[in-house]
Amino acid sequence: MLIITRRPGEKIMLGDDIVVHVMEIVGNSVRIGIQAPRAVPVYREEIWNAVREENQAAAADAPAELPRPARSDA
Amino acid sequence: MSTVTVESSRFGTLEIEAGAIIEFPAGLIGLGGRRWAVVTKEPNSPFSWLHSLDDPSLALPVTNPWGFFSDYEIELSDADSERVQDDDVAVWVTVRAGVELADFSANLRAPIVISAGQGFQVINEAEHAPVRAALFPEGAKAEVAA
Repeated sequence: MLIITRRPGEKIMLGDDIVVHVMEIVGNSVRIGIQAPRAVPVYREEIWNAVREENQAAAADAPAELPRPARSDA
Repeated sequence: MSTVTVESSRFGTLEIEAGAIIEFPAGLIGLGGRRWAVVTKEPNSPFSWLHSLDDPSLALPVTNPWGFFSDYEIELSDADSERVQDDDVAVWVTVRAGVELADFSANLRAPIVISAGQGFQVINEAEHAPVRAALFPEGAKAEVAA
């Protein structure tokens, strides 16, 4: 892992077209701006992780026969 | 129309019409996969399957979120809004099956938005959008499809 120190207002380049902008530090929070090409989705890590887990579980747990709720026939 | 044949490990041979193939430029979150199709096995069931065309063993049950959550709302970031440009949009949410009906849930946080042959799993920024929303709250009746 690359570890570098940046001050508010400074930026980091990931390749030629992704910019990570350290905008401000307030208390124990850092506000970060990210400019990335449309094809590169940007996620908060904990949300990415939760969704990934859910996708994997959905693919793994499902039986071929799913229940049919009674109210859909009403 | 030409079709693509998938030897699905769950459903056997599936013939997918070329026009029904959905291209996911970024895949599903954490699963990847560029080519998928929505497969409906039971016309009266609220559930369909998002089936991978690249991996015959990969399929996720999906449902129309408004069939279960009539007040469901989706709020997209600017970046995601730009990805989904067409007005004619289909929305699905993935379903996690459980042993008991009470364990079945849908992921309202990361809906799958399909328009103009392209699909994106987006992050819903709306406040009330749990990753695991119960599909059959207590008391709901269901029968297993024959």
